[in-house]
Amino acid sequence: MRQINDFISKFNASVSLDRDLIVKKDGRYFLLDRKLKSLIRKHFLYAGTYLGKEENDTFFPSFNLLAMIAQTDANRIVVDKKSEWLFVCGRDVFKRGITRTSGPGRKGDYTLILNEHGNCLGFGRILRYLDTQDQSKIAVKNIVDIGDFLRRER
Amino acid sequence: MSGKEFFVNRYRQLGWRYEPVELKRAIRINCMNAERTEIKERLESRGVQLQKIPFLEGGYWISESDFSVGAMTEYLLGFYSIQEAAAQIPVMLFSELKDKLVLDACAAPGGKTVQLADLMCNTGVIIALDIEKRRLAALSNHLERCLVRNTIVYHQDARLCRRLNLKFDRILLDMPCSGNFATDEEWFSRRTIENVENNAKLQREILIEAKKVLQEHGEIVYATCSLEPEEDELNIDWAITNLGLQTENIECYGEKGLTKVFGRKLDSSVENCRRIWPGKTQGFFVCKLKKQVNRK
Repeated sequence: MRQINDFISKFNASVSLDRDLIVKKDGRYFLLDRKLKSLIRKHFLYAGTYLGKEENDTFFPSFNLLAMIAQTDANRIVVDKKSEWLFVCGRDVFKRGITRTSGPGRKGDYTLILNEHGNCLGFGRILRYLDTQDQSKIAVKNIVDIGDFLRRER
Repeated sequence: MSGKEFFVNRYRQLGWRYEPVELKRAIRINCMNAERTEIKERLESRGVQLQKIPFLEGGYWISESDFSVGAMTEYLLGFYSIQEAAAQIPVMLFSELKDKLVLDACAAPGGKTVQLADLMCNTGVIIALDIEKRRLAALSNHLERCLVRNTIVYHQDARLCRRLNLKFDRILLDMPCSGNFATDEEWFSRRTIENVENNAKLQREILIEAKKVLQEHGEIVYATCSLEPEEDELNIDWAITNLGLQTENIECYGEKGLTKVFGRKLDSSVENCRRIWPGKTQGFFVCKLKKQVNRK
């Protein structure tokens, strides 16, 4: 639970999660509702909303959790269509592909990456201050993107 | 007993003339995550031509696409699922699903589980089981991608579902089956009548268990993608006689279930089932069952 909150705070955001409704199974966290909680048995594999997993003391968020963070006023960068495609393919974000930013935009900050429709595509770490004028530089390092759904099934 | 000639001859006896089919790719828009018109517009702007499937709610054939629809952002965001047209039918046969307790007894890889969650608007609870652990990873990914929030997944044999100590309002039995030639080029060389009979036996065992965990006024939807009557009409006829289940009239694409199979006369209510011969879709068989009113 602490790890989830720590992760969320890296985006200058907070998400209200009911501790009583979070269950952990094999290092993976799931958010339930009351009905699911009343019916769940110990040997479940997956339940409710998958929030992410903990491995070697590191937290890896799910895309469900990123979508929840995206509903707050978390740090975000909106990218154009071409950068959207490249990001989903695992590539970093160039300055020229950024159409809007929200948050301090400091070097080292975590930021969500959104497309022009406002859909969360993943997140990354800002490599240089976003007010740089150099359009050809990588601005955000890709950490996780939704293309992972394709890669993990290979 | 196997081979193309053997099976094609059986289909002829059942009143259908074999012809090879080329299936069109189909998608289903997940309304719990997106507006249909918006997703349609977004896909069309990316060069995907969609054709509404006339007998389905929210189903579209892909008539043209510059890219793989399985790699687009909208797919990865869970706005639609890739689901063959006939495979979209079974879940649509249930009456009211919102807030119900639903069992998806053979759930992996999860296309129909997501469709259930979609029709339930993420309310109620789905208990999804599958016996193959490897396939459950695909199911979990599918649920995460499509933002499904109302499902609990267990690695469990559908024949043991009474161990959950639950009674279900709706049960989807998307049965493990022999499949059909429309989705498997090697089907005729791979399958024998013994395979078919073994699958039919397994399906009856699952049906027995499903009846035990069905609420008094609950509904079972039974589905296979097999064209073999042993897995379809003959099993339903058996369930009517031996399990105290009755078929319900359904309105959907397909022909009436056969009531005469290889010279054997079946219960007349088996015609309430729907048999879908390959053509516009793959081969499929669906049926809606309830407990018989006058029996426990």
